[in-house]
Order: sequence, then C-alpha cells, then structure tokens
Amino acid sequence: MSVPGPSQWLVLIVFVPLLAAVAAVLWPGRGAGRWLTVLTGLLTGGGLLSLSARLLDAGEPVTHALGGWPTPLGIALYADGLSLAMLWLTWVVMSAASWHADAYNPAHGIDEALFRPLWLACWCALNAVFVSGDLFNVYVVLEISTLAAVPLVAIAGGRAALTAALRYLLFALLGALVYLLGVALVYGRHGRLDMHGLEITPEPAMLLAAGLVTAGLMAKAALVPMHVWLPPAHSRAPAPVSAILSALVVKAAVYLLLRLWTWTWPELINGAAWVLGGLGAVAMIHGSVLALLQVRLKRVVAYSTVAQLGYLLLVFPLASLLAWQGVVMHAVSHGLAKAGFFLAAGNIMHLLGHDRLQGMRGISGGPLALTMFALALSAVSLMGLPPSGGFLAKWLLLQAALEAGAWGWAALLLIAGLLAAAYLFRVLAILLARDTPDPLAAPGSDRHVPTAMAWSALTLALGSAVLAFAGEPLLRLFSIGSPDIMTGSTGP
Amino acid sequence: MTEAFSWVFDGLLVIALVIVAARVVFTPVLFKAIVMFIVFGLLMAIAWGRLDAPHVALAEAAIGAGITGALLLAAYSDLVSVRRRRPHLRPRVRVLRRHAFFAASAALAFAALALVLLQVPAPESGAGTLAVANLDATGVAEGVTAVLLDFRAYDTLLEMAVLLLAVYGARAVLVTDSEPRPDPWPTEGRHGSMVAALVGVLAPLIVVTAGYLLWVGAYGPGGAFQAGAVLAALGVLLRLTGRLEPAAASSWPQRLVLVAGLIVFSLVGLATLFAGGTFLDYPEAWAYPLVLLIEIALTVSIALPLILLFSGSPGLATPAPEDRR
Repeated sequence: MSVPGPSQWLVLIVFVPLLAAVAAVLWPGRGAGRWLTVLTGLLTGGGLLSLSARLLDAGEPVTHALGGWPTPLGIALYADGLSLAMLWLTWVVMSAASWHADAYNPAHGIDEALFRPLWLACWCALNAVFVSGDLFNVYVVLEISTLAAVPLVAIAGGRAALTAALRYLLFALLGALVYLLGVALVYGRHGRLDMHGLEITPEPAMLLAAGLVTAGLMAKAALVPMHVWLPPAHSRAPAPVSAILSALVVKAAVYLLLRLWTWTWPELINGAAWVLGGLGAVAMIHGSVLALLQVRLKRVVAYSTVAQLGYLLLVFPLASLLAWQGVVMHAVSHGLAKAGFFLAAGNIMHLLGHDRLQGMRGISGGPLALTMFALALSAVSLMGLPPSGGFLAKWLLLQAALEAGAWGWAALLLIAGLLAAAYLFRVLAILLARDTPDPLAAPGSDRHVPTAMAWSALTLALGSAVLAFAGEPLLRLFSIGSPDIMTGSTGP
Repeated sequence: MTEAFSWVFDGLLVIALVIVAARVVFTPVLFKAIVMFIVFGLLMAIAWGRLDAPHVALAEAAIGAGITGALLLAAYSDLVSVRRRRPHLRPRVRVLRRHAFFAASAALAFAALALVLLQVPAPESGAGTLAVANLDATGVAEGVTAVLLDFRAYDTLLEMAVLLLAVYGARAVLVTDSEPRPDPWPTEGRHGSMVAALVGVLAPLIVVTAGYLLWVGAYGPGGAFQAGAVLAALGVLLRLTGRLEPAAASSWPQRLVLVAGLIVFSLVGLATLFAGGTFLDYPEAWAYPLVLLIEIALTVSIALPLILLFSGSPGLATPAPEDRR
C-alpha cells in the first residue's frame, strides 16, 4: 500500500467520479447522491492540487503508463499546463453546478436516480478527456461524455427537450464516426495511436485523416458550420446541465483540436491554420448576430457560446505564445462566466416560469438581486471588459494579433467584442429597465431564489472576475509544456 | 479450399453484400429493410471470417446482426402500435429520391477513401507487432483478448461505462415519453406448448454457448463481448415468450449486475495502483485469474444492458405465479 503520488492521481481523478457514478446507480437516493458528489469534489480537488504542485515543481508534464505498458503498446495518461487549466475549470464548474442542482432539481421534478449517475459519469468523461494521450481512448471518453450529456438534456422533460437531445445525439454520433475513420487512417499508416509519439508528415492520407478528425470534433464542439444542434440542446436543458454543457462538454472537443493540431500533427497546420481561423471568425460573427436576434434569454446565451468558441480557433493563424496564453485564458474565463450566466438565467426562469425576454422587463430587484449581480458580472467577462478573465484573454489575443501585424484578426477581435457587448447590453437593458413596475415585487409575493442557486451562480461569476487578478501565476501554470509551434522553439 | 473455389465464393459473397445493402436502402417497406439489414449483418460476418478476422465475425453476427436486429424489430413493433392509434403519424419510408442521393454520395466518399487507403503504405512496426511480441507476459494466449484486457484494458473498462450510459439514456427518454402504450410482446399465456418446449431446449444451450465463448477467449476467438451478446439473446428470447416481463423500476440485484463489470474491473485496477503504483499492471502470476474474473463480470454486465434496451423498460420481472399456466 502506498500513498498516491501525482502520477497515481492522474488515474484517480478519472476513477473517483466513475466509481461515484457506479455508487449512485446502486444507491439512487438524493442524500447518497449529494454525498457522493461532495466526496468526488474533495478527492479530485486534492488530486488536482497534487498534480499542480508537481507540474510547477518539475516544469514538465506528468504521465502514467497504464497497465505498465509503454506507448505505443499501451495507453498513456498525460497532463500538462493546458490539461490542468481544463481540469481546474471542470472542477470549479462541476462543483458549483452540483451545488446549484441540489436546489434546482427537486424544484423542477428532475429524477435523481437518473440524474446523478449521468452527472458523475459526465464529470469522469471530462477529466478523462483532459488527461488522455491516446487517439482511440479519446474516442471512447468522448462517447461517454456524449452519452451522459444527451440524456441530461432529455431529463428536462417535454417534447422540445427530447427533440433537442436526439438532434444533439445524431450530430455527436456522426461526429464520432467521422473522427474514428480519421483515427483508423492514422493507425493504418503509422501503427500507433499515442498523441505525443506519432510523427505525422504532410501526405495525402494524413491530410485526409486530420481533416476527418477535425470535422468529427467540430460536430461535437458545435463549431460553425456544425453548430445547429447547440442552441436548442443548451437552451432546453435544465439550468445546471446547460452550464456544464456550454462551459465544459463542447470545450472538451475544442481542447482536442488544440492538442492534436499543435502536438500530434503540427506539420500539417500550414494551410489549415487559415481555414480553422476563418471558421472561428465566421462563428464569432454569425453566433453574435444570432444572439442579438433571439427573443428568449437562454437562447441568447446558447448562441453566445457558438460565438465565443470561435475565439479559441484564432490560436492557429496567430500562432504565438501570447495567442496561446490568450486562448487558454479565454477557455477558462468563458467557462466560468458562461456557467455563471446559465445558472443565473436558470434562477430567473425558476421565478418567472419562462425565459422570454419580453416578460422580463425590470425584474432586477428584490429576490433576484444576487442573481442579477452574478448575471452582470458574467456579462462583463463575456464582453471582455476589465476587470475580468475575459478582458485578460481578449487583451492577450489582441496583443498577439498586433505583434504579428495581423490587422485583420485584430479588427475581427474588436468587432466581435462590440457585438458581444451589443447582445449582452440588450439583455441587461431589459432586465434593469425602470419603466415598468417589477412584476416580482408585487405585494404578497413570497417567491425567492434558494440560497444554493443564487450563490453558486455568483461564485462562478466572481471566479471569472478574479481571474483578472490571478492571471499571472495561473498563466505560468497553464503554460507548462506549451507546444513548440506556439513557443517558437524548434524542439529536440 | 482450392483457390478457384475461394475466388468464386468470395465473388458471390461480395455481389450478395452489394445487392442486400441496396435492398436495405431502396426498399419502400420498413419491415423488409430491417430484415435485409439483419441478412446483411450475417453476410458481413461471413466476409469477416473470410478476411481472417474471426473476432470481428463473431461480434458482427452476435451484435451487428443479432442484438441490433432485435432492437430494430422492437422499435418497428412500437412504431406499428403508434401508427395504429394515431394514423397521421405514418413512419415515412418512401423517400426513395433522398435515399438515392445519400447512397450516391456515400459511394463517392467510399471510392475516394478507398483510393487513398490503397496508397497508404503499411507501417513496418507498431502497436500490433509489439502486442504479438509481448503476448507471453499477459497470461492469455490470444492476441485480441490480450489487447482488450491488458494492453488497452483502460479502453475496455471505459466501454463498460458507455453501455451503462446507453441504458440510462434510454431511461431518460422513457421518462420524457410517458405516454402509456401496450407491451409489444405477447405474454406467456398466449403461447402453446411448442414454444415452451423450444425455450426449454434453447435456454440451457445458449447458456452453455455463452460459457464456452467466455472460457475460450483466453486462447481463441471469443471473450466477454461475444459471450455477453449471446447471453443477451437468451434474455431477448425469454422476454419475447413472456418469461420475463418489463418492470417500472430496476431491483437492486439488477442494478448490481449492471455495474458488476465496472466495479470488478475498477477495483482490480485500483488494487494494482495502490500496490504497485501502476493502474491495471497485473502481477504476472495473477494475470490469468484476474483476467478471467474480469471477463466473467464483464459478460453479465454486457448482457443485462442489451436485454434492458430490447425490453425498453428500466427493469425486468418474472411473471407472478398465478399468471402461469
């Protein structure tokens, strides 16, 4: 018997939530589910501390050769700064959203016996994606995340949620098959599947493989033009589920795009960088404009996710350490702010029973004060106004664009920022309007937002603001093991 | 088999595959399409056998043709009952033009892929050659089983979570779609003595076959997935003949069977992690017994989700004694 070290924690952060999900199958009660979730949070949090300490100490990635078989025979787990950024984001968002769900689920008739195993399995899958170092293993864990996320959308009940969930399932399954086809090509050519040992050179078959893998991941990540499933699925899901879908689940696929194009096949990037960046640009503009046109709050937020995911693809054409740090910071700050925004939107729906913007004029006072504060803080980060993580991320990206003399990308960043401000101020203006009496302030109304729901949203919003001040040390951790094509070093 | 004969055989097989595939796509009758799909799966299994891939052949026959076919038929019978009650909801199967478009695009994409694939040089070495070289250290004599339960055991373990989630996904849909509907399968009392006798003969045979497949996995084609699928076929048979009935909730023993594979596999992994520092690094002397233990747990945890998916219910129950004749 030995105390687990960082390398063992790499395994445990996957298996703690998995076994908690199994336990939730066996003990389906609400009390057991809550304790299992708390236990998962505590143990994986400890594991992440151990991993972070080792990473900062040694300055190089932590690995674990599963089964004792070195790659390419076995599967390796692998965690570097980028993994840690996503793992910490997962930890914070899952913990806060679980807290929110404690109050939200009973009030909205969500079946605990179904919810808890799916929720914990999704946590397991996210951690597993972020530590995976193997192309086929990624296929398996992405399937777990999809098969956990789809029923979590359907669990909201009603035909609209079911339709949205099934459309999500079809897109995700198609994406998975296309991804698998690409992986099969890589294996057929190179006989190995480890992301960090493959040496892929530009040739037709490998370009096709990279294209297939990218197309598959784009369907899972809801990147334009494969984004049509996202707005209905993310807006119809229960609030805590919307939060983790937008903040984490789609980002797992984007994370893989970043990792594969910068570590596994950086030599194929030349032309693809502009294609990927161009698709990101289209997503930023298209998503923002559609967000501006929506008449329901959760759909505004969902289209905002389509737009904000586009920023992450700008790292390919900009290709510098600044851009890399900006994108990692954007992934984290958008995750916190978007999850906070969705939870806050859920609180508003909890009181009003609907999310039509038309019926929300001037509801900002009284029982929704804390929720409104959370919503506004999240909006500040999503727009990229200081002080927030969103500002830091967009500032880094803008700096990267200016240093590279890429005026077009710089202009795009400014335009997308303005559009984000437009669709978010539109929402805030409606909520904060003073021209009509607050419908919730009517005498005799004792409706309130449960403490857990208000404070979980606020915690995430505050987190995205605090990132602005913790940016420097965090970026040091998140930059450990940055890919060579971003740092400019040629490598050994 | 002489060379000329195998050319003729393979040629006929390929022609049959293409014709059956075309029938699946182009037939206007949904039921025929399903039956043709099952036939396609069986022919495909023979093709895999001809390609010296007996594992894939077994999996294709048991899962691709068998269980998938049963699931499709279950969905079909449900569609028929919906159509009977609400005639405006006709399943639209007569969209031939769109099928033709998809079939043509798929054929084009396949041709492009094949063109690229034919030019891809095979790697001189890789995970496959390493697996063969390291087979002795795994405790099993069959390469595929060694890959599934040792070299890449982590993937297999997580696949069990995929199966569990498939059941939970189906349950989430059941909750949403709460409209009461008649059970599509007849109850026990409506069958004659022939069926009862047939089930009595088949059930023990199926159990023995599943046990054989499970055991033989250590040296030849077989293993937990094939054994689990065959065991699931028994469940389908019992469900079809009313020996098993749908239940609105799963009992705790059923839930334990659902997760038994995950529990045993994970606990073995964690034991090796805490004892030696590496996850699923079996001690050499223990490798075979541990792999066998895991495979037994996997078999039942593969069979039950498949049966539940076919049954379309959260749980299963045996009929109350007074219903029996």
